[in-house]
Order: sequence, then structure tokens, then C-alpha cells
Amino acid sequence: MATYPVGTMSVIVTFDQGTLSLQGFDRAAINQYWGESPWNWDPRTKSWRADAFFYQEVIDQFARMPAIDWADEVPDWKAITIPTRRFNTLRVDQLEALNCWSHSRRGVVVMPTGTGKTEVALHAIRDAACGTLVVSPVRDLMYQWHDRILAATGINAGIIGDGVHRVSPICVTTYDSAAIHMPRLGNQFKLLVFDECHHLPGPMRQDAARMSAAPWRLGLTATPERRDGRDSLLDELIGPKVYVQAIQAARGKTLADYDVVRMSVHLSSEERSRYESLGKTVQNYIYERRKETPDYDWQTLCGDSGHDPQARAAMIAFQTKRSIEDRASDKLRIIEDLFRLHAGEPVIVFCGSNAMARDVSIRFLIPCLLSHCRKRERQQILSGFKDGSYPAIVANRVLDEGVDLPEVNVAIVVGGGSGTRQALQRLGRVLRKNRFGRACLYEIVTADTRDEIRSRARRRNDAYRPKSK
Amino acid sequence: MLTKEQSIVEYDFSRQTAVPDRLHQKTHGHYLGIANELIAIYHKRIGETRQAIHQAVRRRLQDVEDCPTRRIAAFCKLLDDASEYLRDESGSAAKLRRRIHALAAPMHPLVQRSDALFDHDEFQAKQSIAAELGIPWEEIEARLFADVIEFHRLKTPPDELDGGGLLSRYNVAQTQSALYGATTMTVWAKDDFKLILRYAKLARLMHSIARQGDDYVFQFNGPASVVRQTKRYGVAYARFLPGLLSTHDWRMKATILGPANHRFAIRLTDRDGLRGEVVSEAFDSELEKMFAASWEETETNGWTLRREGTVLHEGQTVFMPDFTLRHEVHGEVLLEIIGFWTPEYLKEKVVRLERFKDHANILLAIAARIDDAIPDLNIPRVTYKTTLKAKQIVAKLELMLSPCDRRSLG
Repeated sequence: MATYPVGTMSVIVTFDQGTLSLQGFDRAAINQYWGESPWNWDPRTKSWRADAFFYQEVIDQFARMPAIDWADEVPDWKAITIPTRRFNTLRVDQLEALNCWSHSRRGVVVMPTGTGKTEVALHAIRDAACGTLVVSPVRDLMYQWHDRILAATGINAGIIGDGVHRVSPICVTTYDSAAIHMPRLGNQFKLLVFDECHHLPGPMRQDAARMSAAPWRLGLTATPERRDGRDSLLDELIGPKVYVQAIQAARGKTLADYDVVRMSVHLSSEERSRYESLGKTVQNYIYERRKETPDYDWQTLCGDSGHDPQARAAMIAFQTKRSIEDRASDKLRIIEDLFRLHAGEPVIVFCGSNAMARDVSIRFLIPCLLSHCRKRERQQILSGFKDGSYPAIVANRVLDEGVDLPEVNVAIVVGGGSGTRQALQRLGRVLRKNRFGRACLYEIVTADTRDEIRSRARRRNDAYRPKSK
Repeated sequence: MLTKEQSIVEYDFSRQTAVPDRLHQKTHGHYLGIANELIAIYHKRIGETRQAIHQAVRRRLQDVEDCPTRRIAAFCKLLDDASEYLRDESGSAAKLRRRIHALAAPMHPLVQRSDALFDHDEFQAKQSIAAELGIPWEEIEARLFADVIEFHRLKTPPDELDGGGLLSRYNVAQTQSALYGATTMTVWAKDDFKLILRYAKLARLMHSIARQGDDYVFQFNGPASVVRQTKRYGVAYARFLPGLLSTHDWRMKATILGPANHRFAIRLTDRDGLRGEVVSEAFDSELEKMFAASWEETETNGWTLRREGTVLHEGQTVFMPDFTLRHEVHGEVLLEIIGFWTPEYLKEKVVRLERFKDHANILLAIAARIDDAIPDLNIPRVTYKTTLKAKQIVAKLELMLSPCDRRSLG
């Protein structure tokens, strides 16, 4: 017969600052009942402690030991009724995604951008009917969720982040705010929705999932892969991939058909000569160093720039070179040509840097969305773009992911890094099906520079490949 | 505090130590002159943009043999922190942008040379907008992004900061930023242990305490620290450091997670020459501050007030009441103020009070709206609405001393 944990003390599990605290078990009992134990002894509070996200596992384990009478003081969430004021009917693929997730209410739904992940999540939230926290990568997206929830349910959701701290049963926040505040909020929400959930596995951001006791978790993303290979953490923190839709499958159906047109610009002779002389500076330096150290490479150079002014000069030359590529004046001329070509159609320009975005904004006097824009200005620019009072806007990475941009069928990508995910997300912005039917993506790169190499890397992704008939 | 991108830490794998960047007089004497020059750059460039000023700093440091990029960035950050920039808080740049984009929209696209299809050329359009606003275009362009950090203009350069002061701040800041990676910290303290504990509390660190000979040994960390190694409380250690540096007679060891999750130690004592500048905030809250002020203005019948004068400890737990009230004849009463806090905090407080109520004479001042949340602990209490008045406390003390309610004081 099994011995009881500790005779007289009652067994209580509480939520304490992002962790679970268990009283009433001694070490022997922990070993006996838990084996692979998440529990650690805390001498400060004389209790066992575990990350809050083990909560479901703790409940399951106690369910297997019916003889133990335990008090569960963790949940501070309540059941709520969610009015369905304006819910759209789900398409077949959205419904399938929702069903796949609903089996266990834990897992990641992978759908290309623009296929209505938000709708899926809104239905999941309504079905769960409990305290819910929606976590998104940036402020814009957080406000966008706020608007979507309001429109669909009439609920004015709480906001945590961007200087606001208004907690209510349905709440929106950002990854950074969630990670900071989860020790205080971790038992108030039974469902967590992680939008663009590939952002979660950062070392600090993980706490947004770890320090929450929520048994139900929904991750949404178009691109679960991370370059650092941390995507397996999503399995642990949210749950397995429960539904995957490839971008190829979505193309042409929900998303607009699109063409990719790549255009090269050449550096002006002045830019070219500066570019080449800077290139020589870098090459000569590496050449000289390789006389002594044959395997001298870029990384060593970066390290050396700490103590060697010449290495530092080479590095600055390299950075200047990149900036010349990025801001080549001819890019502005091509943009002008495209504006002419698409006069009367809304156009959005994506830039690789804030500096270039400002160059474009000042040259054409069109609004630019940069990270410094305050909420009101962003909303004003977006709504002005939507209602047609602005013919075109320019953005840097701010708009990379998720921000709704209706009726855009012409996008111009200028420069930018080679990250596959970045390019894919950018594509997602243009690919929305709109009244024009087809979408057009232009990519402007600088000929005979590293800009071109980066562009080739981008194209390797299947989103850029021609549609197979 | 610095960002990670401005932080320089050297990891010694053989000795398993981490050494934050440090500019010593002996090895880096030439930096004193440089630091003064950097401050002079700021003083010379009032009204210029942050970008231009940083460029000037970079140019000055470019050819210094041993000045890594991160050190340059750290100097810029510390000098910026000691300066004041115009940040366009009224939002006039955003308003200007909106105006201009609205005026330009009907002319889109602005082309280089107008033709039959597009008759708005860039130059003409800009001139007409400038005329409409009555501001020259060059000035419009200069003001258009005045709210972007790089384009903030310097208003006040570092005041009361000399080269030595800058280097001292640099050294502290680098040690702070190394602590971002800390998972735990141990401090061995002597006489100043109360003050040290207070600074740790202000930085929101948890602690456990033990005696080791003459030393109080504090282990500082956070709730999740027993569950896993976490850098979550790293910023709290960094915030705590200047306070620690301002006290005496201690040594500290922090464990930090470095490259490849190896553990490294940072060791420091009060004799290592780092100087902490603490804005001495005597009180944790406005409430305490106002109470202390009202004490000054009240006739207190011989009672004196001291801030956190007494520490009680039992085993691993410490209790530091907010104030110590002392009377020549009647002895000591410890005053603990309980304002509005989370339920968990109150629960913990009750446990702590239960534990320590027989160690000393304690008087509680409890906010009226949470009065019900604190059960009767057999500890005298007063309640207050929004501010706690000295008069109330003095009256209660008198009552506690009156024969009918006299406790064994002193």
C-alpha cells in the first residue's frame, strides 16, 4: 500500500510569481510520485517549486493518485461567455485547422500569411470561453488584435504594453510585456494565443510561456522554422504542430496570384568608384593579414577591430559599402518608374533600412512607417492608405509581419537582408486577394554587388518559385 | 545602463571567471584626456543631432589603439544619459509630416521631369509646399524627422561631469551589464548589511540569509531561480549594484551564464575601486515620505523616528519593519506600514508578522481598505485612509502605554 505524502500537512498547490509552489510533500513522496520531477526544493519558502507551465502535467499526475486529497489554488481564471457579434464563417481549411487544435487545445497552427489565422484564433477563443491572453510580436499587431476582438465580439479587451496596463479577462499584449508581467498574470488566463509564435523561443521571451499556468495554448505562424534551430522549443512551450498548410497550397485560392519581377539598378559612377575603393580597403587589409595568417577571415577581423584601428577601418569600409548598396540613388529612379506604371493603384514600398525608407519618403513625400511612429500616427497612416487618401506608403521592417494592409497589390522590395523568413513575411503582405485579382512584387537590387547575392538567397525559398501547373 | 551591444566582458575559461571591461589609471591612463575631450565635443555641439555628435565621438576614438567599437558605443550612451536632448515631445514633427503628405498626395507621383502624363515634378512640388507653409524647404526637411532618436538635437551637454567621472561611470556600467547574464549572487556583508538588504529589496530581489562568523551571507535571486538557471533577474542585479557599491565592508560573487552556457564567476569587493552613484531615495514610497515629513512637524512626546533601524531574523527569514520608534523611557516600537499590495504579498506579510510578533514590540499601520484582509494577529494597529499622520501614531503609542492596554515596553 502506498504511503501518504506527509501525514498531517495538507497538500496545496499555489501559483507564486510565475512558478508553482507545492506544500505537503516530503522528498520521499516527491520521488515516489513523480520520478522525472519538475519539482525543486525551495528552502526560502519551504516548499517545492516548478515552472508554472507544468500545471497541466501536475493536474494529470494528481488525477493518477486519487488517494491524495489536494487543494488546487492555482487558477484565478474564470469561465466567460463570449458574444458572437460578427463572426465570419470559417472556410474548410480554417475549420480543419480549428478542429485539429481543438482535440487537445494545445499546439501550433501553421498557415501562410493572409489565410485568416486570426479568424481561426477568434473561433478558438470563443469555443474555449475562458480568460484569454493574446500575445503578439509588436505594438501594432497588439492593437490590431484589440480591434479584431472588438469587432467580432464587442469585447473591449484589456491591454498590457505600450505604456498601458489594463488587465481584463480577455487581454492583448506583446511578447516582451508578457515575459515581464507573466509572474503576476500567469494564473489569470486559461488560454494563451501566441501570434507569429516563432518569436517565442527567445531566451527571455520564453518566460511568457514558462511562467504561465495556462493549460490551453494556441500558436499561430506562417514560418515555424528558426535559424537558430530553437523551433523544437515551440513543441515544449505551446504544443506540437497540429495543422500545416503550405504556401503553395494556399496560392491562387485564398491568396492572390502574383508575379515576381526583379530589377537591377546600377550604381552611379560616383557611387561605383566609392564602392570599389571601399571594397579595395577591405580586400587589401584581408590580403595583408593572410600573408601571415592564411585562414584569416571576416570573424577574426570583427574580433580584431576591438584593438586594431586598421581592422576597424576595414570594418567601417565594409559597412559603408553596404550602405551605398542600400541607398543607391538609382533605386529612387526605378521606384519613380514603378509609381508611374502603377499610377492609381495603391503601392507599398519595403526598405531594408530606416535611412532608405526616409530617403524614399522625402523624395516622393509619401508617409513612412518606422518604428518611432507613435500609435496614433501609424493608425492615421494606415487608415489614410486604406481609404485612398495616400497613394503610396513606405515602410521598414515594422510592417514585416501580420499588420493588415488591405487592397495592396503592388509591392516593391528594396534591398533588405537575405533572411528567408523576412522575405516570406513581406510577400505575405502583398499576397492578399484583392479587387485586382493579381498581385505584383518588384524587387530592386543593386547590380554587381552583394545586394544581388542576397536576392538570390531569397529566391531559393519556394514562395518565389513559379507556380507548378 | 548599457545595452548588450555596448557591453564588453572577457571570459577566462581556465579560471572560469568573467571580467567586465575596466579602464584602470595604470593601464589606460590615456583615457582620462580622451574622456575630457569627449565631454568637450558635447559642449561644443549644442543644437546638433545625436547622429552628428556620435559621429564626432567615433572620429575621435577611431584611431585609438585599444578602443573597440563597443567601448565607443558605450561612451556615447553614457554621455547621452548625462545630457538632455530635444525630443519633439509635442509631436510637431508628426504634425508636419501629416500636413506635407496630405499636400503632396494629389500630386503623386512626384517625378524628376514632368511630362504629358505626370505634371508634378519634385522640385516644383516641394517649392509650392514650402510656399504654402511659409517655411523654406531646407528647414522643413530638417524638422521633418526631429522625433527620430538619431535626429534629436542636443539641448544640454553633460553637466558636472569630468573625464574622471565619465570613466568611473563607464567602469560601473560595464560591470552592471556583465551582471545581465547573472543567475545568482552571493554577498558577504558586515555592518552595512541592513542597507545592502534594503537596496536589494528596492531592486526587487529575493534573498535568503545565513550567519557565517561575523558575516551575514545573502543569497540574492528570484522565485524561478530554484527551478532553473535563469537570467531573468539579471537586470535586477545590475540595478542593485550601485547601491551595493555605495556601502562598506562586503564581498560579492555572482555566477553568470556565458558563452555556450558555461558558468563564470564575477567577484568584487568594496575595495576594488568601483564607485556607485546612488540617488539616495530614503523612502520606498510616497506614503512613507509623507509620514516622515509629518513626523517632523508634530510634537511627538519624546519619540524619535528612524528609517528601518532594526532587523529581526529567525533562521532564514528576516523582518525589517519600515521605521523604528524610540523613546528614552519607553524603549523601542517597530512600525510596519502595510499599504495596498497584492493578496500574495499580504498573505506572506501575515505569515511573517505571526513569526516575529514576539520578537519585539510591533505597531501596524494598515490602509483602511485592506484592513479586513489582515486577521487579528494580536498586534496593535491603526488604520489610515490615504495618508498616515504622525499624530495618529503618537496617540496610539500613548494608548499602548496607558495602564489598560500596557504591554511590556522597554
